[in-house]
Amino acid sequence: MSYLNVSSVCVDFLTENGSVKAVNDISFEMNKGETFGIIGESGSGKSVITQAILRLLPSNAVVSGKIFFESEDLLSIDNKKMRQIRGREISLIPQNPAGSLNPLLKNKLQVAEVFEVMGVNKKEGIKSVLGMLKNLLMKEPAHILENYPHELSGGMKQRLLAAMCLSYKPSLLVADEPTKGLDSFSKKGTLDLFRHMKREHGNSMLVITHDLDFALEICDRVAVMYAGQIVEIGAVTNVLKNPSHPYTKALLNALPRNGLIPLNGHTPSRINLPEGCLFYTRCNLRSDKCGSERPVTKSNKGVIVRCHLY
Amino acid sequence: MYRYIFKRMIFTAITLFAVFALTFFLMNVIPGGTSEMILKHTFIGLEESATQEQMVQVSARYNLNDPLYIQFIDWLKRGIFEGDLGMSFVYHKPVLDLLLLRLPATIILALSSMFIAVVGGVSLGIYAALKENKTADHLLRFLTLFGVSMPGFWVALVLILIFSVYLKMVPVAGYGSIENLVLPAFALSIHSLASIMRITRTSMLETLGQDYIKFATAKGLPVNRIISRHALKNAMLPVVTVLGFQMGAMLGGSVIIETVFAWPGIGSLLVNSIFARDLYVVQACIIVIVFLFLIVNFIVDLVYIYLDPRIRYG
Amino acid sequence: MIGLEITCLQNKSSVFSLKKDGIAGKILNRKDITISILLLALLFVVAISYPLLDFSDPNTIDLTNKNLAPSAENPLGTDYLGRDILNRLAAGTTTSLSIAAGVSAISLFVGIFIGCISGYYGGIIDETFSRIIDIFLSFPGIVFALTIMGFLGSGVINLILALSIVHWAKYARLMRGQVLSIKENEYVLSAKIIGAGNFHIMRKHLIPNSVATVIVLATIDIGHVILSIAALNFLGIGLPSDIPEWGAMLSAGKEFMRTSPYQTIFPGMAITMVVIIFSIIGEGLRDILDPNDTGGEYL
Repeated sequence: MSYLNVSSVCVDFLTENGSVKAVNDISFEMNKGETFGIIGESGSGKSVITQAILRLLPSNAVVSGKIFFESEDLLSIDNKKMRQIRGREISLIPQNPAGSLNPLLKNKLQVAEVFEVMGVNKKEGIKSVLGMLKNLLMKEPAHILENYPHELSGGMKQRLLAAMCLSYKPSLLVADEPTKGLDSFSKKGTLDLFRHMKREHGNSMLVITHDLDFALEICDRVAVMYAGQIVEIGAVTNVLKNPSHPYTKALLNALPRNGLIPLNGHTPSRINLPEGCLFYTRCNLRSDKCGSERPVTKSNKGVIVRCHLY
Repeated sequence: MYRYIFKRMIFTAITLFAVFALTFFLMNVIPGGTSEMILKHTFIGLEESATQEQMVQVSARYNLNDPLYIQFIDWLKRGIFEGDLGMSFVYHKPVLDLLLLRLPATIILALSSMFIAVVGGVSLGIYAALKENKTADHLLRFLTLFGVSMPGFWVALVLILIFSVYLKMVPVAGYGSIENLVLPAFALSIHSLASIMRITRTSMLETLGQDYIKFATAKGLPVNRIISRHALKNAMLPVVTVLGFQMGAMLGGSVIIETVFAWPGIGSLLVNSIFARDLYVVQACIIVIVFLFLIVNFIVDLVYIYLDPRIRYG
Repeated sequence: MIGLEITCLQNKSSVFSLKKDGIAGKILNRKDITISILLLALLFVVAISYPLLDFSDPNTIDLTNKNLAPSAENPLGTDYLGRDILNRLAAGTTTSLSIAAGVSAISLFVGIFIGCISGYYGGIIDETFSRIIDIFLSFPGIVFALTIMGFLGSGVINLILALSIVHWAKYARLMRGQVLSIKENEYVLSAKIIGAGNFHIMRKHLIPNSVATVIVLATIDIGHVILSIAALNFLGIGLPSDIPEWGAMLSAGKEFMRTSPYQTIFPGMAITMVVIIFSIIGEGLRDILDPNDTGGEYL
């Protein structure tokens, strides 16, 4: 039995310009204890999936499909149950550490409140957070808690958020773009942080990132997303060292160490989706079939690919 | 933070001083101004027959021949150190006495109105935000539009028509008991209530869209906890900013409401004095009103600093 | 050099294009704004045509018909001097709209001018003007206008002047803010590099790009101006009594509230309606031009 089973999930946003298909029939499975990565450009729909899992989408979002978490469909349980899962079973480290902390409240309060709600002794909870912060190599963690968010640097905020999420001892940890906007030194710090989390806590992790090197280091398996669809899933070394899908190949070519070869063209409009393969206009291996028929997922040498080539 | 408070205090003091000066000079410079009035009132009925000599005597007694800035300094000194703000031509009493007599009425009215406006406006604003785009929200927004657009004196008259004349629930005008306070306070509060409701709603909606609210939900906090602890305080910041301005609008509106309800406050005193050309009283009323306005704004600033730790420790 | 100049000129805001996805299209999408604009157009027609067409004089006194309830002949009833209320309301439209237009024009002109200069030159000019603006803004509007009118006396010019003195500071402050945020933009800097004069820059770059926000404020503000006009006339100051005006009508009518409330109800409704129309248009414009703006009228 798989641990997290996302099955044919679609997410549409209703806007005044039309219905935007952010996530287009996504399916993947995660095993317990593994680190699963979702890779793609900005706007490919990766963050939307994390929000869909935790039911954090705004009111103009329409979600269909099923998301099974330990055999319960998260999309159909009632609000009360969902609330109990959030924070405790599934924890989300958000994309924007600065914006995710309430500027008017002390850090200590924001850390402690989940313990309150869970019914755990606040003092115990705070102690475990402090311990975790020390582990994450933060100096003077007690002082940090007495301060306000704006007094912390970006890296400190990130560690605080990571410590908070971990201390609630979730079964599944979701990390949304942990290295976004960081310079290479901070990136290394984040990498160490995640390695540490993996080693010490062994949670199952779902990592969303556009940083391919980070994914290579941390993930066991990855899925590559393009324009709301998954185009390739497999073990990280298979996918990122021996890519099957043309898009994955192009992503790797665009890395500085591979020559910074850019990918021409734009992602297709999500309001008026084209008929054939969504990558058609930018693919240099395309054929006529690609323009008219949408490819389905197929197995190829241990990897699942969505491409007419296979 | 203290530097900021100090700067605000200085600014308030300077503005106040400038207002004093502006009022004084305007009163004296325009035709029908202080000097003419003093002369006129000293010689009531005798203007034509007043001799040059008598005019000179009176001028000397009131220092009317000194350059204006000296008169100003003199006036300031008398006002601040001796509490002598002049005599009312109409009531033949010291202006200070008149002010002290009428000030409580205005303060009671303004405070009650503000209370209604804030309590009503904030709660309705939060309610409308939580019910965004549902019927209740649309209805409230529609009512707000009316609230902000109706002339205060008209609201007052219609309220009198309904509650005093037809329903006979409260007396039409007068001063002395709670019954007398109800209509004026309510009439005065409508405009501010509508404004506050609007900005509370907008601010609340904006706050609810922030990432930290999303994260608080992701942490598994219950909805009412999220609203009471996270959303409320943050949403109130812009509202507090606006309160200062609303108070000013209210002080302005009280002038009209007091007149309609014959409420014996500073506002109605001002109106009557303007018509009667009772200049010292006019001067004093304006200064009191502006002073109240500046003080309220200063207090609002302090409250804002207290609420936002980014200014305190930033 | 010429290339730079062309780039500068192209930075003029294209907001006012009448394309379908430009302003015109967005306005038509919102029914409330469209209806309001149509109503406003109707008001303008009434205001402008009333003095020109030959309606019965709104000031004719006819004591035999005083205080009548609405009927076929007098759709809104008659007032205490037998004058038809609807007729007087229409006449009042001309009064209110023309005075409000005058006030807006003068305050906008002065406000934009001072705000622009203050924001652009900065330094001591800015400090001085800012203080002056703050001082003007620390008088509650009605109080200020009342006092000025009290000493100038009634009259159309006096009223326009007094209200302009009260309202210009708001626009100056907003304009100054806009200029401060725009003046560091690249097209301004490039204009300076090619040696454009200060006034040229202000005229061609600063004003066109900030005027939209100010106009939105002005539109919403016309409502406040009309309320002020009515308030002053209600108190008895403002216009001589032979000019029909809604506030004055209310003031006169209140004596007869018990028996004939129409004189009180209808003028107030007229004022409210006009203010609502301007508010809807003004706020609609603001939503269209900058959906992120939460509201400058609370300054």
